[in-house]
Amino acid sequence: MKQSPQLKQVQENMRPGVLTLHGFLGTDRRDLVEILEDDEAEVRRIGTTHRAIAAKMTALRDRGKEGLGEFIKVEPNFEVRVDSVRGGIPSPFGGPGLIPKTNTTVRNTRLSREIVYTDINIHLIGEHGFYEGKGSLFRLEPHELVEILEISPEEQQTELPG
Amino acid sequence: MISALMISVGAVSGISAFLAILMVIADATIANYGEVKITINGDKEYEVKGGKPLLGTLMEQEIFIPSACGGRGSCGLCKVTVKEGAGQYLPTELPWISEEEQAENVRLSCQIKVKNDLSLEIPEELFNVKEFQAKIAKVRELTHDIKEVTMELVDPPEINMEPGQFVQLRIPEYELTDEPVYRAYSVASNPSDTKHVELEIRLVPNGIATTYVHNYMREGDEIIFNGPYGDFYLRETEREIIFIAGGSGMAPIKSILLSMAEKGINRRARYFFGARSKKDLFLVEEMRRLEKELPNFEFIPALSDPEEEDQWEGETGLITDVVARNMESGENTEAYLCGSPGMIDACIKVLSDKGVPDELTYFDKFG
Repeated sequence: MKQSPQLKQVQENMRPGVLTLHGFLGTDRRDLVEILEDDEAEVRRIGTTHRAIAAKMTALRDRGKEGLGEFIKVEPNFEVRVDSVRGGIPSPFGGPGLIPKTNTTVRNTRLSREIVYTDINIHLIGEHGFYEGKGSLFRLEPHELVEILEISPEEQQTELPG
Repeated sequence: MISALMISVGAVSGISAFLAILMVIADATIANYGEVKITINGDKEYEVKGGKPLLGTLMEQEIFIPSACGGRGSCGLCKVTVKEGAGQYLPTELPWISEEEQAENVRLSCQIKVKNDLSLEIPEELFNVKEFQAKIAKVRELTHDIKEVTMELVDPPEINMEPGQFVQLRIPEYELTDEPVYRAYSVASNPSDTKHVELEIRLVPNGIATTYVHNYMREGDEIIFNGPYGDFYLRETEREIIFIAGGSGMAPIKSILLSMAEKGINRRARYFFGARSKKDLFLVEEMRRLEKELPNFEFIPALSDPEEEDQWEGETGLITDVVARNMESGENTEAYLCGSPGMIDACIKVLSDKGVPDELTYFDKFG
């Protein structure tokens, strides 16, 4: 598919130094539309949806907040810590205001694997199906999210609440 | 038909983008704003060269406005009140400026450009802020993810500050950043040692500054910081004090306690410090030593999830539960909190339920 002028503008917003120091694209040279299409295909191949992935990320983030900045055990086999740093970031797609700079670290103790994601990752995945460009510090691989967050077949069809 | 429409849209977008780039280049190269006058707080006047963002222009005059993102408009900290001369709000400012602030002409100094005479208002204490060159005298591991960094001042050789204030560390270019970035950290040392500044820095996943401190910073390195900033300091009252912190939130509380011990401020004070397990606890011996120097001070560490091998016999549970269990009426109490926004919000509620007046709860949120 050809990149629309709107997506072209969004891709400009994602460049280093526009909204964040490093931007959202890493070393990825593809058009944004290609990045979105490739990740969409990957998510379909896994058999889930962007919203289902974002819903699990949100649920674990919300449980992790109960640890008040320290790791907290979350059943069945997770440890989650939520950290914040000063400030917020606007979405490169525009709306919904500033998104807090919050990091969620999820340790899967059964798999001995860990993944870190931010509130803006949750927004970009849930609302836009964007996992950041290859080589970006905050790029997330859809299959890793599904594996480490153990998104079950039932959860894979979940929509975001509210 | 559709392809003709797409070609038209593409052409218009292309021309618009070209014109926008042309304007930016022209503004940077051709536009000459000459000398302009900046008046601050009605009585201080500066002749400056126009054309640059206000934040950087003020920095050249050695006036440092707090900014945690290095002027990218992503932290929202560098607010100043511009009485005259700033023009319309820019789209990049508006997410950070509330309607009330707009009514008072509060602006983001990193976003507005100095093009003509300006009249500003900034807090007087910012005139005490300076840029310092320092040497990394010591890097010490406090826990598996918190390091203590001691900086020895070189130029200027001394700093005057209040216990509890913070500085902005300049992280130089390295593998993760091709330009310097600034990040704010609370000072942990006693301000009476004017030749050194000590910080406690927790590793943030993918954090540019904390990764530098934990993995690249070496003793003997040169470093630049500016400060001091902030109004998180001990008020001169006779009230009881509740301190609450977690993780690197230890830093400003430790600075305040060291200062209290040196000055002989022997008010009743209790310090609730939250950690997950024993491996996340640090400076316990230093706190026990302070308990001896300050007879009315009590350090209460609490573990939310102690491990079996910790053989922990102290307080357990979330810090909010521990405070609620141990605190009686808070009517004659003031509180000082430092930690994540979630921790602080939860603690404010507990303190409020205990009767600590909201206006006497002071906090330094990481977020």
